[in-house]
Amino acid sequence: MSTVKLASPATEWKGYEKIVLRFFFLYFLLQTIPLDWKYYKGLFSINWLNLRYGDIFFISRYFPSFSSATGSFVDWLIIAVLAAFGTFIWTKRDKPDTDYSVLYYWLRVILRYRLAIGIIGYGFIKFFPLQAPFPSISNLNTNYGDFTDWKIFSLSLGIVPHYESFLGGVEVLAGLLLFFRRTASIGALIVLVFTGNVFISNLAYGGGEYVYSFYLISLALFVFAYDAQRIYNLVALGKPTVPNLFKPVFPGWQENARLVAKISLIFFFVFVYAFKTYKGYRQDPYQFPTTAGLAGSAGIYNVSEFKLNNKAYPYSATDPVRWKDVVFEKWATISIRSNRSVILDSTNYEQISYKDDERNYEFAGSGGRHYYSFIADTVNHLLRLQNKNKHYGNDRLVLHYIKPDSKTIILSGVSQGRDSLYAVLNRIDKKYPIKLGRRGRLKL
Amino acid sequence: MATIENTQEHVPVSWSVYKKIAFRIAFIFFILVSIPFSGAWYTNLVSIDWTRPHYRDIYDIARYGTNIPSLFGNSARQGGGEDGEGAAAAGSKKAAKQKVAARGSRSGDQPDPQAAELQQLSRRRSWWSDYASWGNALVLAVIGGLIWTLLDRKRPSYNVLYYWLTVIVRFRAAIGIIGFGYTKLFPTQMPFPSLGLLNTDFGDFTAQKIYWLSVGIVPWYQVFGGVVELLAGALLFFRKTATFGAILLIGALGDITFVNYAYDGGVHVYAFYFVLLGSFVIAADVPRLYNLLILERYTVPHFYYPDYSKPAYKYSRIVLKGLAILIFFGVLTYTEVINFKYDPYKQPATAGLKTLRGNYNVTEFKINGQEIPYSPLDSVRWKEATFEKWTTLTFRVNKPVVVDPSNGGGSPMRDIQRTFEIAGTAGGQRAFHYYADTVEQVLYLQDKNAVAARASRIPSEADPKIAGRTKKNDNWISDAAWKNIGDENKFIDPAAWSTRRDREFARPERGLNRAKMILKYHTTDGARVILTGINESKDSIYVVLDKRNRKYVLPESTLNAGKY
Repeated sequence: MSTVKLASPATEWKGYEKIVLRFFFLYFLLQTIPLDWKYYKGLFSINWLNLRYGDIFFISRYFPSFSSATGSFVDWLIIAVLAAFGTFIWTKRDKPDTDYSVLYYWLRVILRYRLAIGIIGYGFIKFFPLQAPFPSISNLNTNYGDFTDWKIFSLSLGIVPHYESFLGGVEVLAGLLLFFRRTASIGALIVLVFTGNVFISNLAYGGGEYVYSFYLISLALFVFAYDAQRIYNLVALGKPTVPNLFKPVFPGWQENARLVAKISLIFFFVFVYAFKTYKGYRQDPYQFPTTAGLAGSAGIYNVSEFKLNNKAYPYSATDPVRWKDVVFEKWATISIRSNRSVILDSTNYEQISYKDDERNYEFAGSGGRHYYSFIADTVNHLLRLQNKNKHYGNDRLVLHYIKPDSKTIILSGVSQGRDSLYAVLNRIDKKYPIKLGRRGRLKL
Repeated sequence: MATIENTQEHVPVSWSVYKKIAFRIAFIFFILVSIPFSGAWYTNLVSIDWTRPHYRDIYDIARYGTNIPSLFGNSARQGGGEDGEGAAAAGSKKAAKQKVAARGSRSGDQPDPQAAELQQLSRRRSWWSDYASWGNALVLAVIGGLIWTLLDRKRPSYNVLYYWLTVIVRFRAAIGIIGFGYTKLFPTQMPFPSLGLLNTDFGDFTAQKIYWLSVGIVPWYQVFGGVVELLAGALLFFRKTATFGAILLIGALGDITFVNYAYDGGVHVYAFYFVLLGSFVIAADVPRLYNLLILERYTVPHFYYPDYSKPAYKYSRIVLKGLAILIFFGVLTYTEVINFKYDPYKQPATAGLKTLRGNYNVTEFKINGQEIPYSPLDSVRWKEATFEKWTTLTFRVNKPVVVDPSNGGGSPMRDIQRTFEIAGTAGGQRAFHYYADTVEQVLYLQDKNAVAARASRIPSEADPKIAGRTKKNDNWISDAAWKNIGDENKFIDPAAWSTRRDREFARPERGLNRAKMILKYHTTDGARVILTGINESKDSIYVVLDKRNRKYVLPESTLNAGKY
């Protein structure tokens, strides 16, 4: 650290200022330097030869959490206590030649880069609208009141991919500004306004990322604080203002090392990540399963006939077992609407998974329907259905299917391993306002 | 006062020629967009009864866009007058008429040439031409600015004028955003979804509706949005904090502009208007901040600040600022609280019949004596029904309806015109407003979907045929029944009565050919309700409704507007 030379004489640090800086130095180091073994476990499981955007997203999203996956403010308290303890010892043993301006510079460098990487991590999965995909057919055919508010938030964003890209663009811009010392405060200000809104949204919509978003805000506050006094002096008081006078000078090879490190970081987290997310957006969006569904069958179907153990059930709004409608997604998911209640899967934070059976976005936070993944045996016309919700692990159906015409599917087979089931499905030519013209007249 | 003397020292003595020309143009332009130029705005202002105010009286002072006619003959296409809140409150009558015509063309069944022309117009109106009024203002400003340049070449600078222009723009932006902010602070702009909306599939809503609802489900978030907007407005009132307020304004309203484009909200011009005003406010500080932060140079701000120690200046400043703060923080807070508590402007304000409220299964349905069994595909039979906590019956039928594309806003006093619960909703959902004669147990119902009613023809108040029909329409409820129903104007809590409300109820409702039903209701405790009578197509119906204990995944609202 002593290698940094100042372009201008160092300012005097008051005693309490030193103590405050020591505290924040330790506190933020503990918050940003990966110490969590779970993180390394994740790092080592990455296939670096076949790097995917989800891996980079994982790298970008480090924060210390001793308890749950979404973190807790209790962790922060523990870290603060540790930092206070460290500050106490440091203050006792401080060497008189420590240059606190240099220390402050390096702390700000760490936080700038940590924050930039974090905000860009979320930026690109919005810029290429992956995070909130266009709602599935099942989602479109679920009552508004059958979603959690967090799910509604995501679905509502999903119908406007351009807006999602715009939001991602703002995050990426803020991240880019943070990579450079002189524009960092502007980037931090954008993060404060933008992620401030994300934080409040998480609280309001019951999202699971309020701790992480507040974590980013805390970093942004510290980065911004560096220039806050100057900005206030100039803009609010209208007084002549002295700029930042601290300019790091790296002698000899260190300047080259700095450039190489900086360029490779930016290359990895901006260019490689952008390229990977773009490719992912084209080829492998992560929220919905990848396995293809039954060819030419996607759509919503009315259940015109329904028999259980050879007993016919007429249409009914109240019957507890009769199916009301069935959706075949483009991928290997079938969802069934009936009066049978649903115990929710309530995932509400971002996780990128490459295995179909771990992708729960389509039914997370949504009631009204039961979701089944299926394996299709197209030779014998068999569908093996498995309820995707972890609360219904035993809910399996084996159904034989016939397609007498392109709009009809007849299912017959065994449900739960005991009940015989027969259903005639007729495709509904359903029209959705959000898929039709925006400015024209709608009659639906 | 030392700081003022200090800053006056730094006022640059002379401006460059280009800076002066640019300023003259900017001056005229921002005056044109900041000052109301429509007669209706002034009519509203002078007609306000300050002893019995309504929140909308004040809101309408704050809510005006740019309305500059073109120099080249075409009338202004109400750039900024397209009110996302449903009605061009302070827009000209001409604009309002155009809108009715445009709506008519949207919903007209026959592609007659006039409608086609209008449709083409409305297509041309999109994107750039939405901002036509700004273009008109800019043309005027350029011409005016050049003439001014010829007449006033000797003047070295416009520091004083620049200061006052900033004051006008700051106050315009502050008042406008505060008017917006209050309907969120006391969350009425985006209501929590009613039962009928909760029972509608996500895919049956328009994009705009989806956005409005997504904010409506989180009233506390809406409050937060209101706080941000009010904070931006409050900061803009004071010179020292104006730049921070403007940055907040640009951030928030820039986002709202984009939201409106994405979801077809219709308020993009008015939202971007604030971005424009905010950008003007921060314009002087941007180069200074660039100099300080990016170039890392010693920065000396130059600006003029008037000497407020003269009594004439001092007192007029105190009076003007005090008045603005009194009206837009005092009176507006009071009227908004009243509105939130008793008369949330997007929801019907009258309490619905208590025994009826809830979700219902339609157990039995007979039409002209013939029973129709339950089927999700039947185009006549009701699938399910709700009685809202206010005076609305909703039901769903498998039959397409023309969708009301609006956001159900505006400032109507009559419950039947408050259409948020049906606007932007497809899937065969119907909503009928009812007047209840509780003595005879009869509901007088009218279709709330005015767009569907307009579909047959474009109404005009001057048309005698329509006026006649209005009269005939008025007779569908007998005087005896009216006696039992009462006066809608007085149904809400007396605390919320206002002169504005009285005036609107004194005028008859615009003639609309609404579908009507007259249904007798029988129930003991609301568990089973039997409706009998004549439906909208003059058929006699018999409907048995059984209450259904519908549980929602969506958590209930913890902040409810209205008193029901």
